[in-house]
Amino acid sequence: MSDRSLHGSTNTTWKSIEELAHGPQETGEFAPGTTSAPILDSTVSRRGFMTLVSASMALTAAACRRPEQKLIPTVKSLQNATPGLPLYYTSVYMHRNVAYGAVVKTREGRPIKVKGNELHASNCGTSSSEMQASLLSLYDPDRIRRPRQGSGPTSFDAAVSKIADAVTEAQAAGKKVAIVVDEHCSPTMTQLLAQMTAAMPWVTATVMPAIITDNEARANAAVFGIDGVIVPDLSKASVIVSVDADFLGTDKLALHHTGRWAARRKPTKDNPKMSHVTVAEAQYSLTGMNADARVRLHPSQLEAFLGALEAEIAGASAIGGSLAASASAETKAAATTAASRLRAAASSNEAVVMVGPHLSPRAHAVATSINAALGAVGSGKIIDTANVLPNSNAKSAALAQLRADMESGAVHAVVFCDVNPEYNANRAFKTAMAKVPMIAAINLYEDETASLAKVSIPAAHWLESWGTAVAFDGTITVQQPMIAPLCEGVPATPDVLIALAKKINPAFLGEMTTYAEFVKSWVETSILPISGGATWTKVLQDGTVKPTSAAAGAASMNVSAGASLPASTYPTGMAVLAAPSLALYDGKLANNGWLQELPDPVTKITWDNVALMSPQTAVSLQLASDVSPSAVIKANEQVITVATSTGTVDLPVMVQPGMADNVIVTQLGYGRTSTGIVCAGVGVNAYTLSAGSYAASTVTVKQGERQRIATTQQHHTLTDGHGERPVAKYMTLGDVAKGDFSVVEEHFNAQGPDGKPLAHGEKGEGNFLTPLSATSGYKYKGHRWGMVIDMSQCTGCSSCVIACQSENNIPVVGKDQVLLGRELHWIRLDRYYTGDMESPGSVVEPMLCQHCENAPCENVCPVAATTHSPEGLNEMTYNRCVGTRYCLNNCPYKVRRFNFLNYAKVDERKPLDLVFNPEVTNRFRGVMEKCTFCVQRLHEAKWNARDNGRSRVLDGEAVTACQEACPAGAIIFGDMNDPKSRVSMTQKDDRGFRVLSDINVRPSVTYLAKVVNAPATEKAAGASH
Amino acid sequence: MTVVQEQQRLQHSSHEEPVREELVLGNPSLRDVTARIASIVESKITPKYLATLTVTGGMAGLGLFALYYTIVTGIGVWGLNNPIGWGWDITNFVFWIGIGHAGTLISAILFLFRQKWRTAINRSAEAMTIFAVICALTMVLSHTGRPWLFYWLLPYPNQMQMWINFRSPLAWDVFAVNTYFTVSALFWFVGLIPDLATLRNYVKSDIAKKIYGVLSLGWTGSTRHWHHYEIAYMILAGISTPLVLSVHSVVSFDFTVGILPGWHTTIFPPYFVAGAIFSGFAMVMTLLVITREILDLKQFITMKHLENMNKIMLATGMMVGYAYAMEMFIAWYSGSDWERWIFINRAMGDYAWAYWTMVLCNVISPQVYWFKKLRRNLPLMFVISIFINIGMWFERFTIIATTLHHDFLPASWGYYSPTWVEISIFIGTFGIFLSLFLLFAKFVPVIAIAEIKSILPGAQPKHHHGDHHADASAH
Repeated sequence: MSDRSLHGSTNTTWKSIEELAHGPQETGEFAPGTTSAPILDSTVSRRGFMTLVSASMALTAAACRRPEQKLIPTVKSLQNATPGLPLYYTSVYMHRNVAYGAVVKTREGRPIKVKGNELHASNCGTSSSEMQASLLSLYDPDRIRRPRQGSGPTSFDAAVSKIADAVTEAQAAGKKVAIVVDEHCSPTMTQLLAQMTAAMPWVTATVMPAIITDNEARANAAVFGIDGVIVPDLSKASVIVSVDADFLGTDKLALHHTGRWAARRKPTKDNPKMSHVTVAEAQYSLTGMNADARVRLHPSQLEAFLGALEAEIAGASAIGGSLAASASAETKAAATTAASRLRAAASSNEAVVMVGPHLSPRAHAVATSINAALGAVGSGKIIDTANVLPNSNAKSAALAQLRADMESGAVHAVVFCDVNPEYNANRAFKTAMAKVPMIAAINLYEDETASLAKVSIPAAHWLESWGTAVAFDGTITVQQPMIAPLCEGVPATPDVLIALAKKINPAFLGEMTTYAEFVKSWVETSILPISGGATWTKVLQDGTVKPTSAAAGAASMNVSAGASLPASTYPTGMAVLAAPSLALYDGKLANNGWLQELPDPVTKITWDNVALMSPQTAVSLQLASDVSPSAVIKANEQVITVATSTGTVDLPVMVQPGMADNVIVTQLGYGRTSTGIVCAGVGVNAYTLSAGSYAASTVTVKQGERQRIATTQQHHTLTDGHGERPVAKYMTLGDVAKGDFSVVEEHFNAQGPDGKPLAHGEKGEGNFLTPLSATSGYKYKGHRWGMVIDMSQCTGCSSCVIACQSENNIPVVGKDQVLLGRELHWIRLDRYYTGDMESPGSVVEPMLCQHCENAPCENVCPVAATTHSPEGLNEMTYNRCVGTRYCLNNCPYKVRRFNFLNYAKVDERKPLDLVFNPEVTNRFRGVMEKCTFCVQRLHEAKWNARDNGRSRVLDGEAVTACQEACPAGAIIFGDMNDPKSRVSMTQKDDRGFRVLSDINVRPSVTYLAKVVNAPATEKAAGASH
Repeated sequence: MTVVQEQQRLQHSSHEEPVREELVLGNPSLRDVTARIASIVESKITPKYLATLTVTGGMAGLGLFALYYTIVTGIGVWGLNNPIGWGWDITNFVFWIGIGHAGTLISAILFLFRQKWRTAINRSAEAMTIFAVICALTMVLSHTGRPWLFYWLLPYPNQMQMWINFRSPLAWDVFAVNTYFTVSALFWFVGLIPDLATLRNYVKSDIAKKIYGVLSLGWTGSTRHWHHYEIAYMILAGISTPLVLSVHSVVSFDFTVGILPGWHTTIFPPYFVAGAIFSGFAMVMTLLVITREILDLKQFITMKHLENMNKIMLATGMMVGYAYAMEMFIAWYSGSDWERWIFINRAMGDYAWAYWTMVLCNVISPQVYWFKKLRRNLPLMFVISIFINIGMWFERFTIIATTLHHDFLPASWGYYSPTWVEISIFIGTFGIFLSLFLLFAKFVPVIAIAEIKSILPGAQPKHHHGDHHADASAH
């Protein structure tokens, strides 16, 4: 089957919103399956060759000084591609079983940027850090390059034959073959596996998530008869009580939830309304960091809190009586407070309780009981049973069956597809695996599991493969390949499975030979007829299609059925939780430098997992003499041994204010042993500590042993020992309602020479102390770029950091350099704790170049390498920079980043160099760099405006990478000279202030003070119970 | 007015002065003086000298290796980081530039003020100036991220059509330091010409004769030569004089023009100049105490010279002490919380040890010089001079590191400590400095022969009516 017929006759396979103006584009670029040879091999295909050539040209043009590369003229250009112009394709990123719509930017045939698809309901154009960073993994040199059999390389065909032989042997011997796939939300994958197991009854297909948390699915199965996770809509919630649910942080749906949550966090003087979030938790999660009220609870009290809450709200119909029974007086009091808040919003059906995935099935049923009593359950309400996360059904039973089969020797062969049980499964599963005669792995990396396999086949990256994904609301997206597989001619995992099935039964799938055909056929036969006239082309163009048939009636609810579900048996003593990492999640992308170096939004730790504990816990472990900050800090970096019934790990300690006592939290995803050089030796494998739930543990201190922890922030409060610095401002909803915005007027230099408070100009533009001298009177005639950042919306999720890194070719510097304080991120998220150490609130202040009108960096550069543009940008001319670092010293925001070493070594570790954005110069060592407001995007917007006969860029046409990614929409960018632009309008917000306005540098970034939902008298953020 | 007349007028005006100590002891003859000083050049190179030169050369080699390593690898081999863009590099630069100032002060200002006691020490002080500026230039050239582009800091016509940024204090630095080096080198060399001619006549080896001959530029000692020489020397002294004030003022602008609390202050120019003279005299002292012992020049470099220098150190030490106190006061008086905090942090923060080392060395230690007995105590003055050298280095380090490590936004605070590379480079600058000084002490007259003759006991009658004759005959 040719490319052409696959893509239909219109020659317009893909289109994005941006590209609509350019008319239909010829496609057929994406060879399905094995038609294209890999570019890493010595036999280079035409397309691969062109990709390399164009990439080399782009790099040569972009390089700062080195590298020197040969220019080879392009005799035949890439299909569809105009050199220098990007092409955008829609696709879908599957964050495990959550579908996020994606639009991928490609240049000269290589994907260089992932962003969200605005038409996709899950993420509405925004993107998470992992979604964007997955781009880097595409070009990871550590990916498996060719199939392996035993210890030697083999051909793809031979490798598949070898597996097919094992499958045939199993059939002959009357044994089973297991195909184990990662959790996904692909209907075609599910169907393909179903067809395979139907055609070969001795083959089983099992879904195996890295982190198995099926408690909610079990509860829903009992209560609603829905075996799956229901996705709540937080934009409908005005009061949220979370019980250890990190819905803004480690939740798979965090990207979705953040946008919905943020919609209710925009209070103004005229409409002083915002949601109230209470977080009862043992850890100090990202959600807790953004809470309006926190309740510190030991894990043993978490479900008791829930029970007490239910007793308050559901009354007689409560099913959590036994849970409530163990609640302490403090827990009960906290539950009463939370319940009163919930009740206040119950009349409008705007109150909801959320429960962490690791809490017991009983806890989830109790939460449903509360939510039902609050009126949150029902069609069109916060919890709508139509919104079920696909493929989220309980899996532990199937996995237990698989383990038992392997253990008993009934399984002759296992094919592990994109899963890594040797790394993340429990010990029993690993022991059982060892009894399987034939293990095959289809994986991106030669990881722990793949290294055990007799046959290992490289998997295709999501940007290299066809596929489908269904979102919780039924939206279907087709995953399109952007580039031919970079590794040895291997198709995507489903293609391997099809090839395998065809070896055994050539009639399998009839005429179809590739997954691409399977996908297209499925969409055309199963989706298009019920999608209101949508065509295959339209589906690819939009990136989403919503079949109309998915109208399921409201599920019947039987809350009392939840009463018999098991409750948790959390330890009352020292408990340990191995939670998903905010940067790496489950560790699937552990070999990704962008994610490894992404500072944890809460702890600011990079390149490590650690043992987080409260100050009091550190004292009781005798790591610190008392809970004073100076004593507690000495506990950091000491090494402890944490042992549970399943495993033992050594971890460095980091004291985390706000955690419950007698709890240790560590992160999953680290401690990889055989995946790649990036993640080698980083952290320890915390899966051995009963992943995903609290486990009883014993802790011993390794006396005298220390391990350095690389954090990007060393001072964590606004207080400097003599007062609180008014640099990251926060206020309460009460203040907003009263119209008391005095906090944003506050300056460090509160008094003038006469002892009187200094006068301020009008809000927004003129909010500065003194008139300018040298630069006063300059009129910005054209555009004048500016930004507004709403700290009330920003959760600190750090998506913007990766967006910036990807857009602006920011190198990864490594743990050693982070330890020295040399991370290169152009945007950082300053996180300040407020209040006391026991249960602090926090303020997150994204900090990037402020593009000061009166920039102190500009006048001190001796060679004029940093100058001011007529559009108000503070520009950095890399080629001119000699590296005196004077500008860095003189920057009051310390947002300039210096290339102390040659961090952008583009010649090494090919093909990582292909990830670079050709619009942005790579910086050589000795050169200063910093945020440019994505000047390359501004130029593109201006060219587009000019091509359309306009002299100005319209509001919303110029979008910075951080703004584009922000899940909360906290960043607004635009032309301050346009009085109607969003940036001009929001700049005038009452909460607006500019950081360090008293030193008169006139920044172009306005911040809106964070608002905490608290009465006016309370000044501290996140007041605890 | 000729030099001689001027001199005469000055001396007449000071006839009230009490009986002064002799500036040259032992009443040597003119021939003795020449022989005594020139013989150092003629004498054989001793193993001790070679051993010392090997050690200092080794230090220089270590520093040059560290510089080479830095340039081929990147500034990242130093301990600098994102809040702290300058560390030992600029500390050393300011330190060495400061060291140089004593030489210029002694040779130019004391010359114009007719301080005759300067004669014995001006040559070595000037040499020290040049060597210190060489060290400073080494630091400033190597501290940039891309040192091979150093010439971009110079205003020259180029295909990029780019001027330097004249608003940047670093651009002013380039002018200040270059001017300083050029003028100091010229001043030193012009002063050397008569002595080089003396050596040309004195040395026996042909090669040495040739070298000294070329360097002495055909000096014959004619009246015409002396006349031109005196004028040139006077003009250069006049040009050098403002440099004593301007160079370190300009260096201080590197900080004052910055907007950081702790840097952005008007007291810096005078404070830096006083500190420079203070540190320069300390370094001269350190070197002279050793030189006069080793080369046995006690006859020429007398206790009176040393005592005078100690007096200057006491005075300038008090000035920097005043500046430290005034910085604190103004930080409080300004009402700026940023300023107040940075100074509290200086004295009580992470770098408090550096601050108090500085105060102890620079303010407390020179106080012993209130007592004449202590001013004339050779071991003590050596120790104090070392203290002051250390203290003045820490002064620069304190200014740079404490201000940068904790500025406005607490989230970006950091800490800085040097790596072996920076320490090696610092040792290396000492190696370069000492090696050059050793070579100078061996091959160039360490005391201005022609000038010292003018202050010999015989040439300096106590009765003022014979002054100008004596002066004239001395040449």
